[in-house]
Amino acid sequence: MADTMGHSATTTRNKSVVIAFCLLAVAPQIFELIWSIGTIFGWGAGRGPATVLISHATALLAGAPGALLRAVGGDTKQASSDVLLALIYSYPLFAVAILTVFMTIRSAQDYVGGIVLMALALFALWASSDLQGMRGFSFGAGTAPRMFGGLLVALGAGIALTGLLTDGPAMAHYSWRGPLFVMVSIVFFALAIRPLGVVVTAFVSFLIAAIGTHETRWIEAVIVGACLTLGCALLFPYVLGLPMPMFPRFLVQ
Amino acid sequence: MFDLFHNLGLGFGVVFQISWWSPWWLYGLSLPISINILMCLIGALVGTLVGVLPGIGTVATVAMLLPITFGLPPVGALIMLAGIYYGAQYGGSTTSILVNIPGEATSVVTAIDGHAMAKQGRAGPALAIAAIGSFFAGCVATVLIAVLGAPLTKLALAFGPAEYFSLMVLGLIFAVVLAKGSVLKAIAMIVFGLLLSMVGSDIETGASRMAFNIPELADGLGFATVAMGVFGFAEIIRNLDAGAEMNRDLVQQKITGLMPTRKDLIDSTPAILRGTVLGSILGILPGGGAVIASFAAYTLEKKIAKNPSRFGRGAIEGVAAPESANNAAAQTSFIPLLTLGIPPNAVMALMVGAMTIHGIVPGPQVMQKQPELVWGMIASMWIGNLMLIIINLPLVGIWVRLLRVPYRLMFPSIVIFCAIGIYSVNNAPVDVILAGVFGLVGYWLIKHDFEPAPLLLGMVLGPLMEENLRRALLISRGDWTVFLTRPLSAVLLAIAAFLLVLTVLPFLRAKRDEVFTESEN
Repeated sequence: MADTMGHSATTTRNKSVVIAFCLLAVAPQIFELIWSIGTIFGWGAGRGPATVLISHATALLAGAPGALLRAVGGDTKQASSDVLLALIYSYPLFAVAILTVFMTIRSAQDYVGGIVLMALALFALWASSDLQGMRGFSFGAGTAPRMFGGLLVALGAGIALTGLLTDGPAMAHYSWRGPLFVMVSIVFFALAIRPLGVVVTAFVSFLIAAIGTHETRWIEAVIVGACLTLGCALLFPYVLGLPMPMFPRFLVQ
Repeated sequence: MFDLFHNLGLGFGVVFQISWWSPWWLYGLSLPISINILMCLIGALVGTLVGVLPGIGTVATVAMLLPITFGLPPVGALIMLAGIYYGAQYGGSTTSILVNIPGEATSVVTAIDGHAMAKQGRAGPALAIAAIGSFFAGCVATVLIAVLGAPLTKLALAFGPAEYFSLMVLGLIFAVVLAKGSVLKAIAMIVFGLLLSMVGSDIETGASRMAFNIPELADGLGFATVAMGVFGFAEIIRNLDAGAEMNRDLVQQKITGLMPTRKDLIDSTPAILRGTVLGSILGILPGGGAVIASFAAYTLEKKIAKNPSRFGRGAIEGVAAPESANNAAAQTSFIPLLTLGIPPNAVMALMVGAMTIHGIVPGPQVMQKQPELVWGMIASMWIGNLMLIIINLPLVGIWVRLLRVPYRLMFPSIVIFCAIGIYSVNNAPVDVILAGVFGLVGYWLIKHDFEPAPLLLGMVLGPLMEENLRRALLISRGDWTVFLTRPLSAVLLAIAAFLLVLTVLPFLRAKRDEVFTESEN
């Protein structure tokens, strides 16, 4: 009984890892899709969401297999960037995800770590696929990135393999509150520093970061935040002479 | 020998350079001040202040304080940065003795016996011995840099691209050997760092690599940005995991009597000497010198002690040896940077960044073209160590009070300070977001037990390595055997291969793990 219980526990854990890998395999495509939604409102440049969706879908489902067949047939026509992304990045990761179904993961920490590194390396290989390779005996712009990308794929695979072959720690526990609010605070700072100036930005970012833990006492945080803001507003622009807007742009004008 | 004195004389001349300061409120009176000594003092003080804060290591401290040196003249800026570096290191040992939270990896072993001493009410002598040991080690290391500097520079001038490449391979292998944990993971981190260093414009062709047409990436990822993310933000996020109220074992009783007893001094003198020698040697080797130096010094003391059971219960040698070793190593790690232009660890890599901002390319040429800069910095190291011992011992009370500030107030302040710091490097908001992203990457790396230090080293050495590799192959007309046919390069590669094999051998693996698990029990 205990044996079957243990077995089913492994399968469920494996299942979530497999789903995570599948998501990882299409992460760049999803990211571009989300990014492209902005173009509807006129923010940023790039393709519209419909174009992105159609071109990636065709690349994943039809373009890449087609290119693969042509390559086997000896036809070396340059494939489009979307097709290359599917070929270089997504397909290998899907393959890994499928293989994961049949594996018993003995150290999830190493296995997942290795595979994610591999994904990063594959992504770098795709990103440098448009660069020139060797020209005769001299290096092109793309030679070194491809060399190290390839090496990292191998190392990632090696780490993943140790995760399969040797016992080790399981996945560590991630918390969401700290990382989320610290990130929100940082992003707010980056977006607000130019239009709103140091004084407002530093104070608001301080309070946002303070949400990161449930132990924050608000009166205390507001006082310390105000003091810190005052200190920064004096230290950076005046004492150190770093150019920085102080107050919101609309108030100054 | 004459050269040595001449050079050191030049250095002290630069440091003690007097300028006249006549502020308006003195109505025409002028005061003689030495700007460089002032810089050294401010650097050491601020460095200690930030270094004392738990959870901010040396790298994050230096990265965070980098912007405050931008407005200074190059010599002043480098002297200040060097001051920040020792200050941070010293601050780290203060926290590990008083709170049992090592400010950084180099003082992890100091915490074992140092905190035990503090609990017995002997925090004062522990802090004093740490300072005295550091000062002595600093003096020796300063002389060593002065002695080795000139001959190594001559050697460096005989280096071609192939030798440089091989030397950097050796440095990276050292980083792997000296890193904690899995060898495979350390190598992977280095290669990841090398890949990150390739984002941006290609040096030779100018082609935009992996930049996705984002203009802010065209210049590449800033080193300070990545360092701040991986070492600063990631550390903060990780600390929040444990809850803001970390288990702080702060020594509550008042610290009385800083002076160590006669017995303390007699016990710790040989330990300081051994620590200094070991640290100086390990510091010159590229790849995380100061960390391994403190571990190795502690292990050595424990091995040769008549009564090893005293260790862990407040043996003064357990404070003296690692503290001298890490300070000696911290200083001798300037040797490869100043003579060969190769940063041996992450802090030195930040130094390279600072130098580049001031228009100095580190390497053998600097020693010859700007001797006042190099020797001024070397002389300031000695002064900086002296200042640490004079200023910091009386200030221990203030540092303790600082440690009582709760983390729930400290961490948002650190976030804001880091954010302003990164923003001011290039006045670029995108850099702040990138640092945040690397903070998440760093958090992920910590969760999967990857060490961020080799990543940073790879990132720094990446452009240098690629440039020299390409140049070497261009000169040899594409012949890869050039790395083996040139004798110096072949020797360096052979050492690298030998080291790598040694690390993988099971017997030595066990030894290496033993050194690193020392801190855990």
